[in-house]
Formats: sequence, C-alpha cells, structure tokens
Amino acid sequence: MFAVGHAGCVGNSGSALIMLHAEGIKVRYGEIEAIHGVDLNVGEREVVALIGANGAGKSTTLNALCGLLPTVAGKISFLGTDVTGWAPDKISRNGMALTPEGRRVFGQLTVAENLMLGGAAHAGRAERVRRQEELLELFPVLRSRMTQKAGNMSGGEQQMLAIGRSLMSRPKLLLLDEPSLGLAPQMVDKVFDLIVALRKAGLSILLVEQNVGLALEIADRASVLRGGSIALSGSAEELASSDLVRQAYLGVH
Amino acid sequence: MLLQHVVNAISLGGIYALLALGLAIVFSIVGLINFAHGELMTIAGYTTLGALLFGVPFPAAVLLAIATTAVAAMAMERIAFRPMRGASVTSLLLTSFAVSALLKVIFQNGLSARPQPLAMPQWMTGSYQVGNVAIGVGPTISIVISVVALVGLELFLRRTVTGTAMRAAAEDFPVVRLMGIAAGRVIATAFALSGVLAGIAALLWVAQRASVDPLMGAVPVVKAFIATVVGGLGSLPGAVVGGLLLGAIEIGLDAVLPPSVVPYRDAFVLSGVILILLFRPQGVIPAATVRRG
Ligand SMILES: Nc1ncnc2c1ncn2[C@@H]1O[C@H](COP(=O)(O)OP(=O)(O)O)[C@@H](O)[C@H]1O
Ligand SMILES: [Mg+2]
Repeated sequence: MFAVGHAGCVGNSGSALIMLHAEGIKVRYGEIEAIHGVDLNVGEREVVALIGANGAGKSTTLNALCGLLPTVAGKISFLGTDVTGWAPDKISRNGMALTPEGRRVFGQLTVAENLMLGGAAHAGRAERVRRQEELLELFPVLRSRMTQKAGNMSGGEQQMLAIGRSLMSRPKLLLLDEPSLGLAPQMVDKVFDLIVALRKAGLSILLVEQNVGLALEIADRASVLRGGSIALSGSAEELASSDLVRQAYLGVH
Repeated sequence: MLLQHVVNAISLGGIYALLALGLAIVFSIVGLINFAHGELMTIAGYTTLGALLFGVPFPAAVLLAIATTAVAAMAMERIAFRPMRGASVTSLLLTSFAVSALLKVIFQNGLSARPQPLAMPQWMTGSYQVGNVAIGVGPTISIVISVVALVGLELFLRRTVTGTAMRAAAEDFPVVRLMGIAAGRVIATAFALSGVLAGIAALLWVAQRASVDPLMGAVPVVKAFIATVVGGLGSLPGAVVGGLLLGAIEIGLDAVLPPSVVPYRDAFVLSGVILILLFRPQGVIPAATVRRG
C-alpha cells in the first residue's frame, strides 16, 4: 500500500487535527470578485468534499489554497504555518499537492518524465524510483506506458497519471479538482476506488466533484459553494439528506 | 564548387540555428523575444578580445567568453526582465528593445565605436582539399562546434531534471510550479543556456570576420528572429530548421544571383520567408505549447 507522509501537527492522537484552515479568503479576477470570503477546514486523515454548480468558485478556491492565485483577503494556514501569499512551489514543498482540473499532464513528456517531475523537488533519484515503484502498484495501467508520451493516452489514463504525479511528492494534503470530469463511467469508478484507497492509507483529501452523489459517499464532511460563498457545511450524511443538496445537486424532488 | 557552398551554408545556418535556439528557449518559457540577445554576442566578442589582450591563452579566452555571456544573460533576466514578470508580451518585447539599445550605447561609448581586429589562430584560417575542392577549416570547425552544441543541448534537455522541467515549463509553467519546482531556477537556467548559445555563436561569427564591433550583434539577432519565426516561434526543432534554412537560402542566393542584384539579397530572403509563412503561418515545426488561463 502507498505510504503517506505524516502531518506535522501535535496534539492528542485520535482527534482529527486541523491540517488546513482557510478563513475568509477572497479572490478577484481583475475587477470581478469570484469568491467572497470562503472558510474551509480539512483535518488529518479526513476527506472533505467541496461541491457546487459550474462557475460557483470551486477551482478558484483550490487554486488560491495552493498559491496559484493570489488572495485579496483572508488567511490560509497549513500544518500550523501561515502560508497566505506563498508561491505555489513553496506550498508544494510544504506538503500540499493539487491535481488540477483538466488533468494538465505534460503531453509532450513521457509518463515516466511526468512522474519524475512530480517528485523532483521532494526526493532524490533513488527515493523517486522507490516511490514510482509503489505508485505503479496502485496504477498498474501506467506501467506499460512509461515511455509513451502522456498526451497520447486516454483521458482516464491521463487522470491516473495526474494523480500519480501529485502523489510523487508524498503530500500530506491532496487537493483534487474534478478528477472524474469527462471520463467514461468505468473510469469514474476506478478514480473513486483510488480515492478510497488513498483515504484508507491515511491521506487527507479536499475533493471537488460534480458527481455529488459519489463525492458525498466517500467524504467525511462537505461544503456547498454557491455563487462564490459557502452556502452549507456539515457532515457528508447531513448534506446528503439536506433539502438543498437533494434538490439542487442530487436531482431529488 | 557545390560542396563548398554546402559547407558554407551549413556553417552559416548552424550559427543562425544556435542563436535562434537561444531566442526560442527563452521564448518558450517566459514568452519573451529577447532582442538584447545580439548584445550578448557583443559581450562574448569583447570578452574574448580583452582576454587575449591580457595574454590569456586562446582556449581559456573562449571558455571565459562563453561563461561571461551566460552570466550576463542571467544578470539581464534578474535586472531587467524579472521585475516585469507577468507583464504582457508587448511590454516584455519593449523592455528587451530598451535593454538592447542601452547596451549598444554603453558599448559604443565605453569601448570603441570602431571595429577592433580579433585574429583567430593561424590554423583556423587555412583550407584543406577534398578531391580537387578547397574547403575552409573555419567553416568546418564551425559546423562541428554547432553540432556538438546542439547535441549537448539535446542531452541536457532530455537527461537532466532541470532540462525536463524546462520542457514541461514550455508546455504549462504553472503546473511545473505546482510540482514544487521553483520558477526562478527554471527561468535562470533558460537564460544561462541562451547565453551559452549566444557566446558560442558569437565566437563562430567573429571567427569568420576577424573583428569585433559594438553593433556586431544587431544583424545576427534579426536573422535569428527570422529563423525562429520561420521554424515556429518557441519550437526548438523549429529554430534549428529555421536557422539552417535561412543559411541555405542566403548562401544559395549569393551563389545564383547575378552580381548586380546581390546587394538586394536580403529582400529576396525576406520574400522567401513571407512565402513560407503564407503556407505555414505557425512556422515549419509549430511549437506544441498549451497556454491556459
Ligand atoms: N481566469 C479567469 N478570469 C476571469 N474569470 C474567471 C477566471 N476563472 C474563473 N473565472 C470566473 O470565476 C467564477 C468561478 O469560476 P471557477 O472557480 O472556475 O468555478 P468552478 O470551478 O466552481 O466551476 C466563474 O464565474 C468564472 O467565470
Ligand atoms: Mg472548476
């Protein structure tokens, strides 16, 4: 099983320690504010789902958390350190990884090169080889593709590669932006099986998904983002049975 | 006769290819066409001249010139371009014009407005016989060095972590940063490589002219720019093909045009370039860049 790095939090074991704490974060694209003060918490070994319609601000939130987008207000702390305004590469070296929307594998590079870059800033050559071997146990589809250009693979295989590339850094927290988007149904199942496996291995995950039903099945807690603000937060069961989620996202009337 | 022309065409094309590659590497990563690339050549030329005047042996002077040019390229990025990171392509382009103009003025006033002779060692100026054709030693060495530089660059880009990160950054720089790789290091390496290539090209260029002058980089940088556009802006194989193509067209026209028309050669060259771009607007080998918002 894939080993997962341990959070640098101290405190009583057993309780879900907060790894990521975001408070009141706002992001602007030019003049337009896309998220209006979002609060989020992810605890150790916790899977938190962030759901919401297209354009609600889910990707904006994840990109701000990992430093790709500047915040104009609010505070982000990760593993007890204030990381607000940090560059994305520094945040990554601190243990947070984002698998971005649309996979964004390096299409001109081979699968092996993609994986190598995922670990390049985090581990030496020997350690990268070891991590890659562990990953290939988890992603057998990639083993026969190592010397292929990533751009020539199917969407599902690219998604596996994109997640694998993130895992090469042994993150303490993984942000997944719509990992099942545009995949064939059996590929969607595979991606969710993988998330469950990662969760079992003790990885903390912040999951953005359009597939709300599946997301709430595997999440501990969830938040609903609507029009750039958190409309509802709670345990996954609470949200799955709430009228708002049932009507707007699960298609139950 | 034909063999001579072919050797000359490849040797000139090789110099253009090295220069075009330097422009393309930087463009592929930061979206900047560095018109001050020509001034890097000038720095290489004068460093060699100065080192030789101080009695530094020729091979050491050459290495010193290449190293100095690499450092100068990195300094250029730090001082002029880094503060502009995130600016539009046009602002970056104007900045590079400003850097180029400023350096030219400094060279003209601080060094000498006139060309200075810079003689290459005797053994580089001779020729050798292939059958009954005399082939210049200079152009031959130039070809060998260009090939070695190309192979070296290819190995760097394929075999090293930093080289791989640079190829990835040309596709999608934000994701490279998401991997934890510092942007500054990738960019500094791109500029250093472009400096090394400009230094090598400058030495080959100077070897054919036996002199240096403050404006020596002006013409080659325009040629290199044309080569990158013909090859496909930001595409590294394109830069090599564009450079070789341009060298071949120039030498070919020199050979076939009647003497009275030769002064207008560049007009023919540019017409040819426009013709190529009409049929292949993205260049001969378009870059595979994915730019996302
Ligand atoms: N690069 C951008 N420039 C301007 N507006 C953007 C940009 N990216 C997203 N937006 C806007 O911000 C809002 C939130 O987008 P996004 O975070 O991508 O939503 P989601 O991921 O929930 O679908 C949308 O209104 C979208 O149009
Ligand atoms: Mg999105």
